Amino acid sequence: MWCTRSAAERRYLSRVLVSMAGYVLATAGVSWMFAHRHPQGATVYLLALLPALPIFACIAILGIYLSEEKDEFVRTILVKSSLWATGIVLAFATFWGFLQSYAPVIDRTLNFPMYWVFFVWWIAFGLADPLVRRTYK
Amino acid sequence: MKNRLRVLRAEKNWSQADLAEHLEVSRQSVNAIETEKFDPSLPLAFRLARLFELPIEQIFIDDTSN
Repeated sequence: MWCTRSAAERRYLSRVLVSMAGYVLATAGVSWMFAHRHPQGATVYLLALLPALPIFACIAILGIYLSEEKDEFVRTILVKSSLWATGIVLAFATFWGFLQSYAPVIDRTLNFPMYWVFFVWWIAFGLADPLVRRTYK
Repeated sequence: MKNRLRVLRAEKNWSQADLAEHLEVSRQSVNAIETEKFDPSLPLAFRLARLFELPIEQIFIDDTSN
């Protein structure tokens, strides 16, 4: 069964959940600070860093999972899916960069903040994983 | 890489899940190796050899050599 999870995968999922909970809290807290306290100067940079930290943690957690997972086939799937996701995000970001240059109206209308790139990567990773697995069936 | 894993497993009357449990890998790993879509690493090949008490070359067939 594909749903059988190794101990490493269970640890990975619980770490990601904790990290995402941190992200939600940090985003809510920082949004509240900017809405009500109007921080200035270096505080702005520090506050902007706060919601990014759980995202950094997520990237590290994926790396830790890759080193902890004992099943080499699962590692192969993970690496291939990650490469697909990275390729898709790079292609998307490049296209979006050109849109910003040549079609600023679209950029202003859709208002795509750069931090969404991380979530685009996860979506691409989620889509790539079953497709990569299919190639081994 | 061609291999005799399916035959060897059948001789022991093991399912893919049984073999996966003995090797401490996922059933998908066993399936991918059996269907010759995934080549195991040298350490995993040695584990298979120990498990079936056979030399590696009696499990995996090097079809690139004459």
